[in-house]
Amino acid sequence: MIDAPSTVITVENISKWYGSVVAVNDVSFSVEPGITGLLGPNGAGKTTLLKMIEGLASPSDGSVTIFGQSPRNNPDLYHRVGVMSEHEAVYGFYTGREFIEFSAKLHGLSAYQEAADLAIERAGMTEAQGRALGTYSRGMRQRMRLAAAMVHQPEVLLLDEPLNGTDPRQRIEFHDLMRQLASDGQTIVISSHILEEIETLADRILLMVSGKLAASGDYRAIRAKLDEQPYNVRVVADDPRAMASALVELDSIESVSVADDGEVIVLSKNVELLQRSVARVARDRGIRLLRVEPLDESLESVFSYIVEG
Amino acid sequence: MAEIFRLSLRQLLGRWRVSLIVLLAALPTLLILVVKLVGEEAIAFDGEFVDPMIDGMIIGGIMPVVTMALATAAFGNELEDRTLYFLVLKPVSRINIVLPKLLATLVIAGPLVVASGVAATAMAGGELKAMLAMAIALSAGVFTYASIFTWAGLITPRALAYGLVYVLVWEALLGTFLSGIRYLSVRGYTLALLQGIDSESFDVLESRVIEFPAAIVGAVGVTLVFFVLTQYRLRTMDVP
Repeated sequence: MIDAPSTVITVENISKWYGSVVAVNDVSFSVEPGITGLLGPNGAGKTTLLKMIEGLASPSDGSVTIFGQSPRNNPDLYHRVGVMSEHEAVYGFYTGREFIEFSAKLHGLSAYQEAADLAIERAGMTEAQGRALGTYSRGMRQRMRLAAAMVHQPEVLLLDEPLNGTDPRQRIEFHDLMRQLASDGQTIVISSHILEEIETLADRILLMVSGKLAASGDYRAIRAKLDEQPYNVRVVADDPRAMASALVELDSIESVSVADDGEVIVLSKNVELLQRSVARVARDRGIRLLRVEPLDESLESVFSYIVEG
Repeated sequence: MAEIFRLSLRQLLGRWRVSLIVLLAALPTLLILVVKLVGEEAIAFDGEFVDPMIDGMIIGGIMPVVTMALATAAFGNELEDRTLYFLVLKPVSRINIVLPKLLATLVIAGPLVVASGVAATAMAGGELKAMLAMAIALSAGVFTYASIFTWAGLITPRALAYGLVYVLVWEALLGTFLSGIRYLSVRGYTLALLQGIDSESFDVLESRVIEFPAAIVGAVGVTLVFFVLTQYRLRTMDVP
């Protein structure tokens, strides 16, 4: 494969297996500047794949390059690459500030204090920088780890589940920061098992399922494909048969079935419309609605549509 | 390298670990004090003292256990806490990660073990040369053990348990009956260095030590081999 001029990361036929367990199976793709989302359910192989890209693990087969160089046993490459691992462990005895300065010094930055100032400010942790990491909340630790990953202003940022433990406000700030870095020309790969976390952020997504690359490309195209698929919704009411017969008349419904335990399972292509209609129908018919919940909320289900579709 | 050295010192100087190894290192001094206070006969620096106290307790027990407790934790803690990636994902060569980790172990274990041995020798009436021999031999022993157990901490999370088996079974048990094993034993090197430097004070060891040059070559060789192996392991392992 010949890299396009702007290709930063190239993954070629990469596989990783542990004994008889295949964690990543013959995956190939390339990453260009901008934000790439690596999506997949837990156990899909995202972390293993990222570790091979980061140089933390050796591929059983295939190859990875960043800027044309193998990341494995290539310490100099980390001048240009920043990594935030999935593990939330930190050196608890360091203050946030000490931790970032430690990272800056290991990167050989002579102006390590200025670099730490900037990274901490960007992560929104200026006020808490003097506290020991061991006293931080999960979200604060994540932000300080992000600051450590970008303290040397790398050209490539590899972030494994960076939004774990963050609150909605922190997520918005994280999105803003990532967009800013991407607009500066950085290459950012963000892994997540939650679609909503990066659906509005990533320019391009890579979908991993069971160790394989199930789909890749523009998020909106994949989302459109997802939207074509009907979703299952469970409706629990005090009179399931009456509820089922009322629901079947709605336009948004593909099919309705009543399970042995009395739960009504509804297949709908328009879950939003269904959510609005079901309460009205129950009220009009005098049915007591106990619970409404989507059965296909998990990413596993969403991915299965793509893989099987 | 200084940053990783300082980090390693802070990691290794955890309260429970330090308390334990200080207590262990102080054990010979405390024992001698007790014997001096309640014993009827004065303690003399002779075969009856060197055998159980110097060979058995300090070189056979305290030196390996204190060094092992620190050296296995040098990388073991990083692996257990899953923080090793912080270090290996930096533009730092592997030797500049391994060396400060090893030095941090030596800076803590060395003075403790040497102080333990020299104090015991002094309290029993050993001469200055014997104390010097103790300091040199114990330093060499700590160095060699530290190199082995730093590597072991990177290989297995049960390094401490395997280390104890090595010390008790290989060095203490088999080393007593099979003289050839002393050529592949840190305890064997330490005793040979001790006896080689001060043959008069430690003449009781003469019949069971290997040749002095062999001990030097063995200690240096084993230290270097495991130092290189640790770097190799760090280069080739999948970091969790």
